[in-house]
Order: sequence, then structure tokens, then C-alpha cells
Amino acid sequence: MRQYLLNIWNAFWTVLVGMRLTWRHLFIPAVTVQYPDERWTLPPNSRMQLFVNIDDCIGCRQCERACPVECITIDLIKAVPEDEREASTGHKVRFHVTKFDIDMAKCCYCNLCTIPCPTECIYMTPSYEDAAPDRFDLIYHFAKIPPEKIPELEEKARRFEEEEAAKKTKKKAAVAAN
Amino acid sequence: MVTQLVAGEYHLSYERQGDDLILQMGPQHPSTHGVLRLELVTDGELIKRITPHIGYLHRCFEKHAEAMTYPQVIPYVDRMDYVAAMSMELGYVLTVEKLMGLTDLPERLQYIRVIMAEFQRIASHLLAVGTYGLDTGAVTPFLWCFRDREKILDLFEWASGARLLYNYLWIGGVMQDLPPGFAEKAMEFLDYFEPRVKELNDLLSFNQIFIERTANIGVLPPDVAISYGVGGPNLRGSGVRWDLRKEEPYCIYDRFDFDVPVGTGEFGTLGAAWDRYMVRVREMLESIKILRQALDQLPGGDPNEAMPRRVRPPEGDAFMRTESPRGEIGFYIVSDGSEKPLRCKGRSPCFTAISAIDAIGRGGLIADAVAIVGSLDIVLGEIDR
Repeated sequence: MRQYLLNIWNAFWTVLVGMRLTWRHLFIPAVTVQYPDERWTLPPNSRMQLFVNIDDCIGCRQCERACPVECITIDLIKAVPEDEREASTGHKVRFHVTKFDIDMAKCCYCNLCTIPCPTECIYMTPSYEDAAPDRFDLIYHFAKIPPEKIPELEEKARRFEEEEAAKKTKKKAAVAAN
Repeated sequence: MVTQLVAGEYHLSYERQGDDLILQMGPQHPSTHGVLRLELVTDGELIKRITPHIGYLHRCFEKHAEAMTYPQVIPYVDRMDYVAAMSMELGYVLTVEKLMGLTDLPERLQYIRVIMAEFQRIASHLLAVGTYGLDTGAVTPFLWCFRDREKILDLFEWASGARLLYNYLWIGGVMQDLPPGFAEKAMEFLDYFEPRVKELNDLLSFNQIFIERTANIGVLPPDVAISYGVGGPNLRGSGVRWDLRKEEPYCIYDRFDFDVPVGTGEFGTLGAAWDRYMVRVREMLESIKILRQALDQLPGGDPNEAMPRRVRPPEGDAFMRTESPRGEIGFYIVSDGSEKPLRCKGRSPCFTAISAIDAIGRGGLIADAVAIVGSLDIVLGEIDR
């Protein structure tokens, strides 16, 4: 009987202790962020949306190899020597990047692709509101070369290669003749 | 065990006797902490047998790891136990380092690892404790715990850039050094958080109603716990003083002064749900102790000095176990000398905990099933992998 009453007393008392705490919390400002109306600023190194500064991309495909989920697709065409340019970091750009697609639906936001990039042109930005109604809208195309120009570049690269090959055979023939 | 066909297509893993009622709890059940299905054989209000059915969250981690290079596995390891991703990373990374024979690591890296692992332990225990309150009908502690957990996630986001799946601890290094001022901010959080644990105790742990609800249900005796291989807070809740941080110190845990809290059975039976819960609360205070020491001693320097450019371990195998918030997480990796593991096995502490549920819950009430599952603090992502 004593234990029974003690239990009841304990229950009341401990509930009161808790209630005192909740009462005190009534006067503490709320920690909830009313999301669409207010946003907190994310740290600058937040890993959200991937972005590629395609002008600096040298087409080394390191990010494509590093990606564990294969969400990066890169197509390259070899540039002829007169088309070669320099990235802002001083690296030689020896390729035309005709396709640089990132499927953000597949991306696991692991940051592994940004580490090996020699020119640091692929990085994660703190922008996070990139939902899309269609799955295919989540595939981001970063390449700037228009598709109608691709056959021309291909032809150029093929011709250059042929010339090189012809030069080589000529040289070989000359060596053989000597 | 006899399988029996029910309704033409459905297999049950036992023989139905008399008026047994079979209750399917899950896979979509708010209190099972993931997609877990419990098959309860009930006799009136009493549970005669519990059979856990797992596999709803299977993602082929072990097979998938064989197709990835060693650093690429780390994002997948994160997704094993997604509420304690840092601890998972630590276990995997230490195993690969053991395989490579990488021992001479910078001091700062060792400290960063301990700091991250202990913060993750607090965050994970906060989730466990908060949701356990929710399971037993207390909503307020859950919200308070999440409020404090968010602050830890903010710290993690500041350091690594991500809030949940960090990919921060790498083989022989970290993704990036701690931001300047991290130690001060972390200390600030600890000063804020320590009184919050007392609040939690006042609000939930020593609440008579909560004690009455949990102190005598789901008893896991120490010998049963050991024979099932249960580890972590579930084992310590039964009164067994076994913590890998003390018994087999990895990283630099032997340098810190901390206690291993164990269940005492002060309000009921030893090894009951309340003891498992209370061990978690007390472990948070121990983690704070470790964190204070580690943050005080945090040395300068470059944590990535010894990071290998290419991870290519020699032929062989290695097993390493560490103390994750849920118990002993072990990784067994076989290497054939290439860049990809030949075999990568994860030993999950939640799997052993859920396998003991029949021993824990048999003879209890149906209403206690949720409270028992909640007290084990399982994460299905880790069980199914």
C-alpha cells in the first residue's frame, strides 16, 4: 500500500519536474527556421549542386573515373594544334569538350570528383533548391560547343590525324630509302 | 522449423498451434526504425515468438564494394549506418590502413578522428534516446534531442560540407582540415549541451511513468547477450563492462580518461530496456569528457601529410573492429593487390541485436514489442547493407 502511494506520488512529482522544464522552455525563442520565408546561410564548402566551369576543363576525364556512381559523362574530340588554348590556370586544353553531362539524380554528393581535377573547374556549390518536375531536367549539360559544330570538329581532327599519319609514313619511307 | 503455407502464397516460419494469432508488424510501421517486419505469434496479449524479417533495405553493399576502388567505397560505407556515418567511415578506413600497414599517421589526424567519432556518438545517441521517448509516448524529449543533434550536424557540415553522409574520413587523411575556429565552436557546443543532458534526465529518464513503462520489460540477461554476440550499449546495459575503446584501444583512445557506463538495474531488472536507454544517456556524458580532452589537446599541423596518393594495398586480408554507437562494427577486407577490394565484409552490430529479439521479447506483451525494438536502437540500413 505504501509503495503504491509512493509510486503515485513519484509519478506526480516527476511529471511536475518535467512540466517545470517545459514551462521554462515556453519563454525560450523557437529554434525552428520557417523555411521558405527564412533561410540560413550554408557554409561556403557545403556540398550541394555540382558546377563545372567548362572554360577551364581540359578534358582529362579524372572526375569521370573518380565518380563512384558514374553520373558524369564526357565526350571529347582532339583539338588540332592551332585550336589549342590555355585554361585560366595555365594548363593546355588539348581537347574540345563536346559533352559534359552530370546527372544530379544519380549524384551521391560525395565530393570525390572535385579532388583530382587539375584545374579545379568542377566543384560543389551551396545552392540546394534544384528540384525539377522531370527526371531528365536533372541532367545538367555543361558543354558549350553547339551540336552542329561537332561534325566539323570531328572532320578537322580526322584530317589532322591523316596528315600526321601521312607524314609519319613519309618519314619512315625516307629513313628506309637512306 | 516448419514452414507453412498461408492463403496460398504466404510462408510462415513456424507451425501454427491452436488459437495462435499471427501479427505482422511492419515493414511499414512507425516504430520499427526502418523497414523491419516482425512476425509475432501471439497468445492473447502475450508474445509467444518473435521472428524478425529483414532485407527490405538491401543494397548489395558488399558485392558493390568489389567493383569500386578503395576510396570510392567510403560513400557507400556512409550509407550503411546513415545516422552514424562517421563511425562507419572510421571503421572502414582503419581496416584499409591496417591492410596497407599505414601506421605513422599525423597527430592532428588522430585527434580529428576521435573528435568526429565522439561527436557522431553523441548525435547518434541523441537520436536513439529521442526516438525511444517517442516510442514510449513522450514527444517533447524527441524534439529537444533533435534540436541538439542539429547543432552537431551543423558542426559536421561546417567541417565536411555535408550534414548526414560525410565522406570526410579518408584513408590516411581527411577530406579537408578542420576549419579555423572549429575547436572553440565545438567547446561552445559542449558547454551548451552538458546541462541539456540533465534536462533530458529530468524530463524523461527519471520520470516515474517512463521508468514504470521500461524498467522491467525486454530483459536481456548478460549471458544471453554474450552468447548472441550483442555489443555496444545493448551489452553494457546488461551490466557487462565491455567497450572496445578500453579493451582494444584503436586510434588514440588510450590517451583519454573516461569511464564505461554499464547498466545497474537501479529501478528494475538488470538488462531491461531502461538500462539500455540509460547507458546511452550516460555515454553521452563520457563522450563529452573525451571531446573536452581531445579539443584541448588538438595539435596543429597538416592532417593529410601521410595520405597515400593511390590506395593499393598488398595482397592479404585484414579485420578490424571498432566501437560504433551501436556496438562493434567490424570490417573484413581481402585484397588481391589491385585497386579494388576482392571482398569486403561488414559485421553489423544491429544484426546481432535484432537476432536476440526473440530471446528478449518472448513472453512479453504485444504493447511492449515496440518499446523493446526501440530500446535496441537498430538501424536497418546497417542490418541489410
